[in-house]
Amino acid sequence: MSSGSQFKQLEKLGNGTYATVYKGLNKTTGEFVALKEVKLDSEEGTPSTAIREISLMKELKHENIVRLYDVIHTENKLTLVFEYMDKDLKKYMDSRTVGNAPVGLELHLVKYFQWQLLEGLAFCHENKILHRDLKPQNLLINKKGQLKIGDFGLARAFGIPVNTFSSEVVTLWYRAPDVLMGSRTYSTSIDIWSCGCILAEMITGKPLFPGTNEEEQLKLIFETMGTPNEQSWPGISSLPKYNPGFPQHLPKNLKSILQAHCASDLDDTLIALLHGLLQLNPDMRLSAKQALHHPWFAEYYQQQQQ
Amino acid sequence: MSDYLEAQLLLSRPYLTKNQVTRAQKNTISDRRIYNQKKLTVFKLLTDTCAQLRLPRKTLETALYYYQRYHLFNPFETELCYTLATSCLILSCKQVETLKKVNDICTTSLKLRNITKLNQEYLENFKKRIFQIELRILESCNFDYRINNAVHIDEYVIKFCKSLEFESDIAELAWIIAYDALKLETLLIVPQHSIALASLKIAFELLGLTNWPIKKIETFGIDLMAVNEAYFDIINFYINAFDLCDLKDNLPQKSSIMVSIDAFLELKKKAGPEVGLIEIPSSEIDADPFISSPRDFAIMERRYVLSQKVLANEAFELNRSRDSAA
Repeated sequence: MSSGSQFKQLEKLGNGTYATVYKGLNKTTGEFVALKEVKLDSEEGTPSTAIREISLMKELKHENIVRLYDVIHTENKLTLVFEYMDKDLKKYMDSRTVGNAPVGLELHLVKYFQWQLLEGLAFCHENKILHRDLKPQNLLINKKGQLKIGDFGLARAFGIPVNTFSSEVVTLWYRAPDVLMGSRTYSTSIDIWSCGCILAEMITGKPLFPGTNEEEQLKLIFETMGTPNEQSWPGISSLPKYNPGFPQHLPKNLKSILQAHCASDLDDTLIALLHGLLQLNPDMRLSAKQALHHPWFAEYYQQQQQ
Repeated sequence: MSDYLEAQLLLSRPYLTKNQVTRAQKNTISDRRIYNQKKLTVFKLLTDTCAQLRLPRKTLETALYYYQRYHLFNPFETELCYTLATSCLILSCKQVETLKKVNDICTTSLKLRNITKLNQEYLENFKKRIFQIELRILESCNFDYRINNAVHIDEYVIKFCKSLEFESDIAELAWIIAYDALKLETLLIVPQHSIALASLKIAFELLGLTNWPIKKIETFGIDLMAVNEAYFDIINFYINAFDLCDLKDNLPQKSSIMVSIDAFLELKKKAGPEVGLIEIPSSEIDADPFISSPRDFAIMERRYVLSQKVLANEAFELNRSRDSAA
């Protein structure tokens, strides 16, 4: 932003998928904003990810989704002006690491963040938008403890069935097994799997399935959740990358795995919710709306009903 | 320099009235006849490019919206119109997610224009130009993609047909009429679902059917004045420019209907007085700088918002700081 700009450009906040993000100050209103400077591609012009993000986010007004205020065109540069948030969930969790040991968040905070994540996601899904890249780096939080979903660069509208391009979605660690096995007909369940991975990560402070490639990612998932078959997941054998020779594993006890890295006692309703989000078969996964009505959130929805 | 405007905040207005469109074009189109002629050539070029690249109707529709929207705020230049058309198609592919390589779109479009001596340098320069124009198109739409995001005419023709339990022959005829509708400025005036319903109504009437199910249509919550606006626009096009329509040469194979100017005159007669969207008085349009003033691209920072609230908030803060400075 030049000196004549409405916005004062402050420190760099990070690099996004197709842009560099700066903190900014609206000189008129005194509000902080996030300025996302779009890099224009010499081969493809304005990135379709930027167009997607602008088109989807301008329609999504919800307290758990980062607001896109305006789009600025200066000479040959595009800047998206977003609501400013203090940090992302990844940085927040990293800041709590003691030495090299990851530390999970307090369970009441985990619940509050997960509730907000699901509220924001339910709104996206109601508006027929898949996020497709949910991960702690894309969940932004502020000092009031509000959590908002950001970075809709890979999001897309759904509703009319279309072929999807599995190669362009979701960071590996949060990628659903059906997508890893080449499914191109995924829908809202793709985001729900990511929510399950994020919930587990908030509890323990470390990623649940930190694979380095697609093969290892599936291996890690199956080692914990069990290897699926045609009986537990009808239709699995017709997925493009399904391998009947996948090593066979029985499901492990998720509670014991997580409890080993969590100071507080984990109750069974939380584990039941996790199982609902981390169902291998996408058709069996909870929807965001259903997850919000899960008994683990009873205190929240009961409050809403009062 | 102190009173020079360095930043501008604009609120999006995705649809304008007919008079607003005409007024905006006063600043950008000096010869209406040439503009219309070129628009038809561009329409053909875009149709052929879409056909070669197997792109769906919605991609063509969005490209044509962009082409016409661009000319509301940017001058019409005969030499530029084909390059602009290609740029519109590239942007449309990104918008409706029918992704194609920019190189493929450029080469197909250039070949259709009989530019065959394509070397790498030519293509690179062409792309540079395309991308500059792409930003201008985005800007002329105020970076507002709500209109070309999820609702497209052809898809809504089918949806309405299913919902109203119409026979498929009505849908087929309406689908062809909707193709002709893409040649009109109606795209800039009413939303796509209104054009879809208007096309369907014309098809219904051309097939000699009666009892248009208005009661059920009212339950859709659609603005019927917008449908009327599109209905009369399309009928008037067939009456005034029948030779330019594609309908006459592409009637459904199974259908025995004959279309002629008389058939549309008859529809217009039956429809009664032309009613559509409420027009804004010329004096108000002239006093509206968004429409009547040419866009000043020399303003360094041009900001585009969708929310009236953001605009009002900023205006309030600006006035307050000015007052306190005074």
